[in-house]
Amino acid sequence: MANILVCDDDKEIVDAIEIYLLQEGYTIFKAYDGEQAIKILKEQQIHLLLIDIMMPKLDGIHATLKIREYSSIPIIILSAKSEDNDKILGLNIGADDYVTKPFNPLELVARVKSNLRRYTVLGNLNADNNALFQVGGLCINDETKEVTVDGEGVKLTPIEYNILLLLVKNCGRVFSIDQIYESIWNEEAIGADNTVAVHIRHIREKIEINPKEPRYLKVVWGVGYKIEKQ
Amino acid sequence: MDWNGDKMEKEEKLKKPRKSRHTIRTMLRIVQHISLGTFALATLVVASGSTVWVEGFRGDIDFNIYSQDRNSSYEESQMFNSIFGYAVADIIRYGVVSSQLETDGFFDGAKLIDVTAYNYRDIGLPEQYVTAEYALEDLLKWANYGFEWTSAQMTPEQAEKFLSDKTRVVVIDPESKYYNTSDANYLKSDIGSYTFVNDVSANQLWVDTDDYDGFVDGYMESGSDSEISLVAMEGSEENGTVSVTEGAGEDTEEIKSYDVLVNRYKTAEGKNLEEYVSDWDIYYDLCHNVRRAADSLVYNYNEYVDYGEYYSPQKSNVEYLIMKTVGDDTQIYSNLDDEQELYEVMDFMGLEDGTESDFIRDAGKYIYFSPANMVYLTNTTVAEETVRGILNSYDYAYPETVKIWMNVDTSYPVQDAFWQGAEGFHNVMPHFWQWVGVALLSCVLYLVLLFYLTGVTGREIDENGNTYIRLQPFDKIPTEAALLIAAGAIVLAVWVLIVMAELANLNSADLTNVSGGMLREQWFRVLLAVGMFVADSVAMFFFYSLVRRIKARTLWKDSYLCRAARRAKKLVWRAYDNSHIILRVLVPYGLFLLFNLIMVFVAFVADGFGTALALAFVVAFDILVGNLLYRNAKEQQEIIEGIETIAGGQLEHQVNMGNLHGHNLTLAHSVNNIGKGIKEAVEISMKDERMKADLITNVSHDIKTPLTSIINYVDLIKRERVDNEKVQNYIQVLDEKSQRLKQLTDDLVEASKISSGNISLNFEKINLTELMNQTIGEFSEKFEQKGLTTVMNIHAQNAFIEADSRRIWRVIENLFNNIYKYAMEGTRVYVTVGSVSGEGEDIEISIKNISESPLNCNPDELTERFIRGDESRTTEGSGLGLSIAKNLTLAQGGTFEIQLDGDLFKVILTFPPAKM
Repeated sequence: MANILVCDDDKEIVDAIEIYLLQEGYTIFKAYDGEQAIKILKEQQIHLLLIDIMMPKLDGIHATLKIREYSSIPIIILSAKSEDNDKILGLNIGADDYVTKPFNPLELVARVKSNLRRYTVLGNLNADNNALFQVGGLCINDETKEVTVDGEGVKLTPIEYNILLLLVKNCGRVFSIDQIYESIWNEEAIGADNTVAVHIRHIREKIEINPKEPRYLKVVWGVGYKIEKQ
Repeated sequence: MDWNGDKMEKEEKLKKPRKSRHTIRTMLRIVQHISLGTFALATLVVASGSTVWVEGFRGDIDFNIYSQDRNSSYEESQMFNSIFGYAVADIIRYGVVSSQLETDGFFDGAKLIDVTAYNYRDIGLPEQYVTAEYALEDLLKWANYGFEWTSAQMTPEQAEKFLSDKTRVVVIDPESKYYNTSDANYLKSDIGSYTFVNDVSANQLWVDTDDYDGFVDGYMESGSDSEISLVAMEGSEENGTVSVTEGAGEDTEEIKSYDVLVNRYKTAEGKNLEEYVSDWDIYYDLCHNVRRAADSLVYNYNEYVDYGEYYSPQKSNVEYLIMKTVGDDTQIYSNLDDEQELYEVMDFMGLEDGTESDFIRDAGKYIYFSPANMVYLTNTTVAEETVRGILNSYDYAYPETVKIWMNVDTSYPVQDAFWQGAEGFHNVMPHFWQWVGVALLSCVLYLVLLFYLTGVTGREIDENGNTYIRLQPFDKIPTEAALLIAAGAIVLAVWVLIVMAELANLNSADLTNVSGGMLREQWFRVLLAVGMFVADSVAMFFFYSLVRRIKARTLWKDSYLCRAARRAKKLVWRAYDNSHIILRVLVPYGLFLLFNLIMVFVAFVADGFGTALALAFVVAFDILVGNLLYRNAKEQQEIIEGIETIAGGQLEHQVNMGNLHGHNLTLAHSVNNIGKGIKEAVEISMKDERMKADLITNVSHDIKTPLTSIINYVDLIKRERVDNEKVQNYIQVLDEKSQRLKQLTDDLVEASKISSGNISLNFEKINLTELMNQTIGEFSEKFEQKGLTTVMNIHAQNAFIEADSRRIWRVIENLFNNIYKYAMEGTRVYVTVGSVSGEGEDIEISIKNISESPLNCNPDELTERFIRGDESRTTEGSGLGLSIAKNLTLAQGGTFEIQLDGDLFKVILTFPPAKM
C-alpha cells in the first residue's frame, strides 16, 4: 500500500503512530527531526508525511516549506500548538491538514486515510456530470442520491440529504435555520426551532471526521450554516 | 429564686443609699442655712443686748455694757458717768453760747454786739481796734440773708469822700485797774471799763501806722473819758489838722472800682459802716469783722436753740446752774424754772464750803465745781480734771469766779438720754451668755456643715462602688452664664430688699443707719434671721455649684472663655499649619492693598500732575496684578484639563509645561510624573499578564507532548483486549483522566489568554435567537441523555448583537456544558432571549436550571478561576468554564451575572444591541 513517513522528536509518539498505521496496512518510515525526514523523502517513495512542528535541527514548518519546493504529497502537521495562528500558519505554508496533540488515534488514522484517498483517487474525477456536486472530498451525486466523503459512502436521511444538497449547491453561502427550514419544508418558519440544528449536527457526525472541528459543514454561530469552499 | 431575691435586695440597697443620701444632704443644707439665720439672730441679740444706744445732743452714742458693770447699779456704771460727762460738756458749752445771746437769763434780740470784740473773744483784744455795734437781731437776720457786695466806680476824690474823714478807734487803756491781758475779752470782763474811744483822722493813721503809741498818747491828752457808749466825737479839730494830700488831685481823672458792702442793717447808732473809718483797708477789716461775727452768731444761735430744747426741764433730767460774775454783773444760766429752787441753789452755791448733802436734790447725782474756791464736789465718778479740762477749753468765756452745779434726777421722770441708758442697762438680755453660746454653736455648726457639704457635694457612688462627681442641671450651664445668673440673683435680692423697705415705709437712710431702737424690734430680728436664711440658701446654691464644677473640673472647661480659647488655639494652629499658604497668598494680597491705599492716599494729597501720576501707577499696577491672576487661573485650567485627560485613560498625556510659571510649573511637573508613573505601572502589569499567559502556553505545550503518549498508549492497551476486568477498569480510569488533563490544559491556556487580554476578537452581527437554537440543537442529544428538557422563551425573533461568533459560542457552550454536568437529571432548563426593556435596549439571555448538588458558595466566587459548585472536584470539568465564559462575555462588551436562589442556578447575560 502507501508509504507513510512519521516525523516526531518524541520516539514514543512515533512508535504509537506506527502501531496504528501498521494495523491499517501502511508501510511506515520513521524520522526524528526535519533533516532526517527530508533525507528519507529523497531516498524513499513516500505517499504521506506526518510531521511535528517543534523538532531539533529543522522544525516542521521549515521542513514542510522545503518539501513543498519539490513534492506535492499530502502533509499532515501534528503539533502540540493548538492556537488558531499555528493552524493557519501550518495550512498556509502547504500542509494539507493540522492535527493537534494530544490526538485521537482513530481521528488521525481517519485523516491519513482521507488525505491519501484524495491524493490518489480524487485527483482525476470527472466533473462534467451536472448532477454531481463536489466540495473537497465531499461528493454528492444527485441522480443516484449518493453521498461520498473521500470516496466512502455516507448514509443520510432524506431531510439530511436535502439540507446537505442545499448547502453544497450554494457552497460558501450561509443559511440561517429559518431559511433552511423554509426551503426544505416549504413552510414558513414560526418561532424558534432547533429541528434544523439537530439535523445539521447529525449530518456533521456522518460526514465529518471530527464533528467538533468540521471540515465541510461549518457552523457560523449565531448566523447559520454553510459548506466551506475547499 | 434565692439568687433573684438577693439580687433584688442588692439593687434595693444600691438604690436606697443614694436616695437617702440625697435626703440627708438636702436636710443638712437646710440645717446649714438655719444655723446661719440662728447665728445672725443670736449675734444681733447679743450685740443689741450688750450695747445701749443713747440719744446724745450730737447724735446717737452707743455704750457697751461690760460684765463688771452688771454687778453694780446703773448710776455707778461707766455708761451713766459717760452720759453725765457728755452732759457736763454740753452744759458748759451751752453756758458759753447763752452768754453771747442772753441778757439776764433770756434771749435778747436787742443786745448790742461789738463785732470786733466779739471776734476777738477767744484770743483777747488788741490794744486798739476799730469796731461797730449792731443789734443781735440785725446781725442774725443779716447773716441769714447773706452779705452783699456792690461795686462802685469812684475817682480817688469820690473814694475819699465815700469814707468818713475820721476813723473811730477803740483803745484799751492799759493803765486801767480793770485791764488784765488774760481776760481782755468782752465775755469775761467789762470792756467798757478799760477802753476809750477816739476818732482818728486818716492822715494821722497813715503817719503812725506801725506806732500806735503815738496817737494813743494823743488821745490820752485829749482827756476823753472812759464812757462805754461809743458816741461819735464830732469836730475834733485837734486831730483833723492834716487834710488830703495834693497827690489826690493828680488822680482825679482816674476812676477806680471799689467793692463796697451793702449796708442792709445799720449799726446801733443808725450809721453805715463806712462812716466809722477813713481808710479803705480798715474799712474792709471792719466789714470782715461784721460778717464773721454775724456768721458765728447764727451758728451759736442754732446751737443755743437746740441746747435749750435738749436740756429744757421738760426734756431732761438734768438740772444745772452756772453762775459767773463779769465785773459787777453776776450772770446766771440755769434750767431751773422754779424761782424758789433757783435761789435755793444759788444760796448754797454762794457758800464757801457747802456740804455734799446740800447739793443733792431729789436723790440724784450731782457735780459742783467752783474753780475760784478750789471746790469740786460730786457723788459721781466724773473726775475733776474732766470738768476742768472742759472748762479750760472755754476759758475765754468763763472767769475764775464761775460756779457750776449740775444734778441728775435718778428717778428719771423724763425720758432723756439718762433714762434711755437706764432702760438699756436694765433691759440687757437676761440670757446673755446663753445667747452667746447659741451664736457660737450655730457658727461652729454652720462652718462644720459648710466644710462637710463642700467636701461631699456632687459626690456619688455608682453600682460598682466607685465614687464619681455628678453634676446637677445648673452645673452644666457655662460658667460665665452661671456667674451672670448669680449676679442677677444678687441684684434681684437687693432690689427686693429695697422694695420691701419701701413697702415698710423705711427710707434707705434707715437701712444703712440702723438705729438702736430698731435693732431691738422683734420684727427686725425675725427679718434678719429669715433674710440670712434666704441669702445663705441662694449663696450656697451658687457656691456648691462652683464647688461641684471645680471637682468635676468643668469650671474652666465649661466656660465660654475656654471655648473661645480653644477655638483661638485651633485657629492659630491652622494658621501655623498653613503658614506657607498664608505667606504666599495673604502677604502679597496685603502688599497689594497697601500699595493701592498708599497710592490713593498720595493721589488724594498730591496736586494736579502728582495725582495723575499716582492714579496712573495704581491703574498700571492693578492691571498687572489682574493679568497675573488671569494667567495663573489659565495655567491652572490647563493643568486641570491635563489631569482630566489622564484620568480619562490617556496615560501618555503630558501637560505642556512651556508656558507655566512658579507653583503651577511644579504642579504640572507632578501631574506629568503621575501620568508617566501610572502608564508605566499599567504597562508593567500588562507585560506581567502576558508573560504569565506565555508561560502557561509554553508549559501546556510541554505537558501536551507526554500527554499524547499517555493517551495513545492507554488506547493501545485498550486494543490489546485485556481479559482481566480489573485491568480494564484501571485502563478506563486512565483514559478518562488523561482526557480530562487534555481538557484542563486547553482551558488553562484559554483562560490565561483571555484574562491577559491576549486574544483578538472578530466582531460580526450575531442573532442570539439563532445562536440559542443552534446551541440547543447541538446539545439536544447530550441533554436527552440526562433527561433535561429545554424550554425556550423567545421575546425577539431577531436579537442582533455585535460579537465574535466563535467566542460567543464558547460562552454559551461552556454554560450548557455546565448544565449538562451539574443539572439535576430530569429537570427543565429555561432559556430566555429578549431585550431588557423594549426596542433598542440591551438584549438579555437568561439560562436557569436546577443544580443537583447544593450550591453553598458565593455567586461571584463561581466565576473565579478553578472554582466549582462542588468543592470536592470529583466531577469532570476544569473549574475554568464559568471564568472563561464571564471573561469572554466582558471582552465582547456584555455583562455576566450569576444568581443563586437555593438550588436554582441562573445566569444572565446582557449585550448591547447591534447597530442596525
